[in-house]
Amino acid sequence: MKAFQQNLKKLEAADTQVLGVSMDSAFANKAFADQIGVTFPLLSDWGGEVTRHYGIYLDKYKAPRRVNFLIGKDGKILEEQIDNDAIDPTKIVDACERKKLSR
Amino acid sequence: MQRKSRSTLVLGCLLAVAFAGSHARAQASKPPAEPMKIKVGEVAPDFKLNYFDGSNLKEVSLSQYRGKSNVVVAFYIFAFTGG
Repeated sequence: MKAFQQNLKKLEAADTQVLGVSMDSAFANKAFADQIGVTFPLLSDWGGEVTRHYGIYLDKYKAPRRVNFLIGKDGKILEEQIDNDAIDPTKIVDACERKKLSR
Repeated sequence: MQRKSRSTLVLGCLLAVAFAGSHARAQASKPPAEPMKIKVGEVAPDFKLNYFDGSNLKEVSLSQYRGKSNVVVAFYIFAFTGG
């Protein structure tokens, strides 16, 4: 999440909203956001309904897999990054900036 | 001479088997990345979730950004962990 915060200006400049999602409570997520200085919403999927619907619920951890989805203005998925690949947001930032240039 | 080359051949075979075995083990120990259910190019399922802004719970839906901006939805495992 910190890595997205560091790139937030670039992402916003490329018309991109960042939303974090976990199965923690909204209150725990707010405390987490404050601790690491995140200013975008960290959403609470309490109970994991959305996580399961997206097919990324991990039974082992009772939590979501680490996955980034980049979703375009038309609602279609443009990029997916899974597990360790999802830590570094560079690819997503590049994709957003490319998209902006191509318009 | 012939004997020596035969023993070299045997040694070579043993090494090849040992190498193949360790290679297979190395591959097996790497957890297979499960394929994603939702794929690039598909429409992302809509959701409505809350976050706490410090005083109120606020609702956010994916569809509210339709036609307005791209969205990065970053799922993470737990709060208070790295990444």
